[in-house]
Order: sequence, then C-alpha cells, then structure tokens
Amino acid sequence: MKEVFSMWKSTKMVVLVALCAGLYAALLIPFKSIVLIPGITEVRPASALPVVMGLLFGPAGAWGSAIGNLIGDFFGSLGIGSIFGFVGNFMFAYIPYKVWDNMGLVNKNDREPDLKSGRKIWTFIVAALGGALGCALIIGWGLELLGMVPFAALGAIITLNNSIPSIVLGIPLLIVLYPRIKKWDLMWTDILPPEDMPKTGAAARMGSIIMYLGVMFGLLGGLAVAAGAAGQELFSFTGQAGEGTSVILVAGIGVAATFIGSFMQ
Amino acid sequence: MDMFLYMDKDTFVHNLDPRTKIFVMFGTFTIALLFNSLPVLLALAALVLFYGYSGKVLANLKRIRVILFMIALMSILIWSIVGGGETKLLGPITLEGFIYGLTVAVKFNVMIIAGMIFLSSTTIEGISLGLVKLKIPYRGAFAFSTAIRLVPMIVGTSYTITQAQRSRGLDLDSGSIFEKIKKYVPLIIPTFVSVIRGTNVFSMALESKGFGYDSERTNYLQLSYDKRDYIFMIITFILVAVSIYVKLTFDF
Repeated sequence: MKEVFSMWKSTKMVVLVALCAGLYAALLIPFKSIVLIPGITEVRPASALPVVMGLLFGPAGAWGSAIGNLIGDFFGSLGIGSIFGFVGNFMFAYIPYKVWDNMGLVNKNDREPDLKSGRKIWTFIVAALGGALGCALIIGWGLELLGMVPFAALGAIITLNNSIPSIVLGIPLLIVLYPRIKKWDLMWTDILPPEDMPKTGAAARMGSIIMYLGVMFGLLGGLAVAAGAAGQELFSFTGQAGEGTSVILVAGIGVAATFIGSFMQ
Repeated sequence: MDMFLYMDKDTFVHNLDPRTKIFVMFGTFTIALLFNSLPVLLALAALVLFYGYSGKVLANLKRIRVILFMIALMSILIWSIVGGGETKLLGPITLEGFIYGLTVAVKFNVMIIAGMIFLSSTTIEGISLGLVKLKIPYRGAFAFSTAIRLVPMIVGTSYTITQAQRSRGLDLDSGSIFEKIKKYVPLIIPTFVSVIRGTNVFSMALESKGFGYDSERTNYLQLSYDKRDYIFMIITFILVAVSIYVKLTFDF
C-alpha cells in the first residue's frame, strides 16, 4: 500500500488526483436529485469511473475517486456519511487495481489492462465487483454503526448502483481509454519510480485474496444476517433488534479483513 | 454557470476561521447523531437555522430544497411503512413509524443544512488552507481545491459534448435503463479524454512555478483565530459535552 502515500511526491500523480476527482464529481452532481436513499445515495452512472480510474491511474485514481465523491457531497448531501463515502469510494478504485495486479487472475507477463482477451475481461468483472462490493460494505457498515441507514437497504442498493455501471460502462470505457492513456505515458505504472511501486509476490497475493474474501464475507454475510439468518429484522438497526448475530459484527469482520489485506500489498 | 454554494457576504459567520466552522459543523453532526428525539432535533434545527440566518446564507436553502424535500418525503414514507408500531393510521402505516420517519428526516436535513452553511460561508481557498492548518498535507489539499475549481469546467465540457452528440442523433431519453446507461459511453469517453490529456501540460506548468520546491509554504491568505472563534468553539464544545451527558444519563 506504500504507493498510496508515496505517489504524492509525483507532481503528475497529484494532477491526476485532481483531474480524476473533478471528473468524478462533475459526473455525480447532475444526478444528485434522483435520490435512492435520502441523504445517502442517488442514481450514479458515474460509478463507471472509479474502477477504470483505479486500473489506469492506480493510487491517483483511488484518491481521485474518494475526493470526487466528497466534492459531489458538497452539492447537497455533505454529512457524517461523507466520511464513510470517502473511504468507500477510495476502496472502489483501490480494490480493482490490487485484484488486477496481485490476485494472479491475469498472465503475470501481460498485466496491461487493455481487455484484449476474454480472461482480462473476466478479471475486470471480478475486480469491478470487488470494488463495488467493497464500497458498499464500508459505507453500509459505517452508517449501520451510526444508526443512520440499515445495512440491508444500503448494502444492497450501493452494490447494484455501483456494480452495474462499473461493468456495463466500465468495459467499453477501458477498451477505448487504455490505448490513449498508455500513449500519453499516464499509466500509473509508467509514472511512479520503481522504488515507490508496491511490493509483489506471495505476501501481496495473500493480501489480495484476504482483501477480496473480506469484502465478500462482510457484505454477503452482513446481508444474510440482516435478512434474518441470525435473528435480525431486515430494516432494523442492530441495537434495536438486540438479538442474534450482529450485522455490525459480521460486516465489521469483513471490513477489518479488507483493510488487513490491503495493508499486506 | 454558478455551481458553488459560496455567498460573498460580510457577516461574522463568514469572518470566522474555517477551522472554527469545521468544528461547529462536526459538533452539529455529533449532536444530531446522538439523539433520536424529535423535540431535541427540532431544537437543534432551530439553532442551526439561526446560525445560518446570522450568516445570511439561508437563501441557499432554495438551491437544495429538492434534496431536502426528497429526504423528508422518502424518510417519512419508508419508515411509516417499515418502522413498525401499534397505532395504525392507514394500511401498513403506523403513527410510531411516521414519527420515527419524521425524526430521521429532521436528523438528515439538519446535518445537510449544517454542511450547506459551512460551504455557503467559506471560500474554497479558506477550506483548503483550513485543511492544511489542520495538518492535511498540502499536496492533498491542493488536489482537493483544484478538483473543486475544475468541476464547472468539466460540467461545461460535458454539456458541450452532450449537445454535440444530440445534434448527431444520440437519443438519451428513450430505452431501458441498460440502454440509457450504454448511451452515456459516447458522452463519458470524450469528456474523460479532453480532461486527462491536459495532465502533462498541467504538471509542467505547476513545476515551472515551483510546485513542491519547498515543504514550508507561505500563503497569501492568512488564517488566525480571534476572540469570536474561541467563543464559538467553547459554545460548541459545551453543547456537545452537555448532549453526551444528557444522552448517557437520560438515554433519549
């Protein structure tokens, strides 16, 4: 994860953060009034961007996604949920490029995200789902923790809201954009010096798997618990239901595993 | 196109240090999150509105009225139906659910209005410098403030591209949800490309002006706390402390 912090030394990466954030915010804002969960989320075709930005610009895409979402919140929905929105949208872009680089799904001699083979498209879908679900997990868990929106409602809506555009729009976007970004030498792997690149190898691969499993366990487990598998009512907060396995606990384990896995890479 | 909420006025709220306003905003969030009591939240709403009124920024409520209304409507609708309770009003709607929905709506709206007041009374430069003074690294604050400045330009670009594609026959209004989503591809790609291709020139321009030359930066805009800032911070601190005490003691 060291590239997430060391990238700030590069002026080009700082500029990419600003441009990605501006772009993401500009595409989020027009849809602010089409509310899905009041004060929390809305229809978001812009969700196609974080995964693409993550794969192209790496940590700059992740920071851009987080800051862009925060700026989007400035246009009417800035609240305590914006903190979890910041972290969740960071992971929305961060998880995909880590899955792409470290999980071993693409050929290690050809890791360019050009989507020129069925295997790469499949990997993109796996990576995009990881990012979309990771974002849903973190925001859903955070707002359940604060007693603002039940995990079942928010987790399910953000998952759909993120994953559909990121796959349906993300694939053509990346196919068209990759050659241009590569030609302009703006791929994050071309910008960062070798000493600032993240570590690879067995530990990184293990971290990537832990991160992905954490996301799946936290989100799907949390939804299962919320749906009644362990005694909690669907639209109740954990504190009100007061019995059975807590959504906060199950989703929290997933969140913890996601972060532990992230720091291992 | 004026997309931003900032209103240029000379009031004491505008003249408060951005860090004080951030503290007040987070204090409001904390108090709103602590309580599920409608009277307490209404009292907080009154206090927040008075604060906004003092800063002469409540006119911006008009600009976010659709969002505030949708929040209230959806909260009341959802919680009236799924909130449970014994006093039936109409079909699955219960009085207890209705009151809970109203409480949640007030809670959300208070937080959003507090955020709106902060943004309406603080310049982007002020927010950025405030973040730096709060020990956010300068480069992060720079990216944040640059991104905010870029938003109107990017929206303008995307609007031009939308009009150009419409003139070529792109119909954004018909089709299923998937078809509509797919139609955004010819809009997003040129917007993305036109923004990103400026990266190299932008970074060279920054470096030619000494960006990153020295970690100890000086700023034209200077921030400092004065008596009003201390008074506001002490009042906010007392209100938060009393709220926590009341919550722990009486469990509202």
